[in-house]
Amino acid sequence: MALSMAVKGKLISVIGDEDTCVGFLLGGIGEINKNRHPNFMVVDKNTPVSEIEECFRRFIKRDDIDIILINQNIAEMIRHVIDSHSAPVPAVLEIPSKDHPYDASKDSILRRAKGMFNPDDLVR
Amino acid sequence: MAGEQDSGNPTEAVANELLDKIILKQLHLMEEKMRCELNIESSIKNGSIHLAKSRYIMGQSSVSTARLPTESSPDFSASTICETTEEDGVKVMKVIENDAENTVNPLRWFGVLVPQNMHKAQSIFQNGINFVVECVNVQLQLQSNLKLINMLKQYIGSNKLT
Repeated sequence: MALSMAVKGKLISVIGDEDTCVGFLLGGIGEINKNRHPNFMVVDKNTPVSEIEECFRRFIKRDDIDIILINQNIAEMIRHVIDSHSAPVPAVLEIPSKDHPYDASKDSILRRAKGMFNPDDLVR
Repeated sequence: MAGEQDSGNPTEAVANELLDKIILKQLHLMEEKMRCELNIESSIKNGSIHLAKSRYIMGQSSVSTARLPTESSPDFSASTICETTEEDGVKVMKVIENDAENTVNPLRWFGVLVPQNMHKAQSIFQNGINFVVECVNVQLQLQSNLKLINMLKQYIGSNKLT
């Protein structure tokens, strides 16, 4: 029997290149809260990796964010931080960008799921 | 009863069968996730084309990050948020409209009279958000299945030892 329990709506945040951020913000997910903290970050070629990492950690800590969208090419830069986040919420979703098509072999979740099917693990 | 004993521990056979079923479901979910990602990709590509057309009409800096709100702009709420419900122990998300008063129409950041392409880009990205939430739901199922598989493997392994 399905047990349903509704919780108050939460935010979708985005870390991405200019077009991804402009696009999704145009879609209406952007917010600047009372403490003047935005839920998005635009990454360009001059953005240092440490800044992306810090922003990602900040989004994970915020309890009003349920989904973190991140371009896959940016996720590659901070792969170790993404891999260390194993909690289901906030969900980290790697999305393609207009310049970088989706590559399933890089996706953290799919790699974790594929790990289940390695030959050593299946032969018992 | 005797037949069951001949084929080994019945609980282990049940566990193995369950593991098979969950792994099969996992494969379907992986395929589903890749399909969702491709949907997101086509949304982003289509939306970007319309953004580029608007940029061509309005000028280079008119559709750029310079127009997005910054930390110094007044606070506002997101007009699209997601609601979480829990079904059978797995979280399920759903896109909902925020009914808060201080929401804004993002199109206004780019001007009062924006080209038609901007409106098109907006509706494409709004649709993209639905694909995103669909993909997140698949991802949440994948993760909960992953836990189940690990638990079952441990159970089967510990049964073999005893």
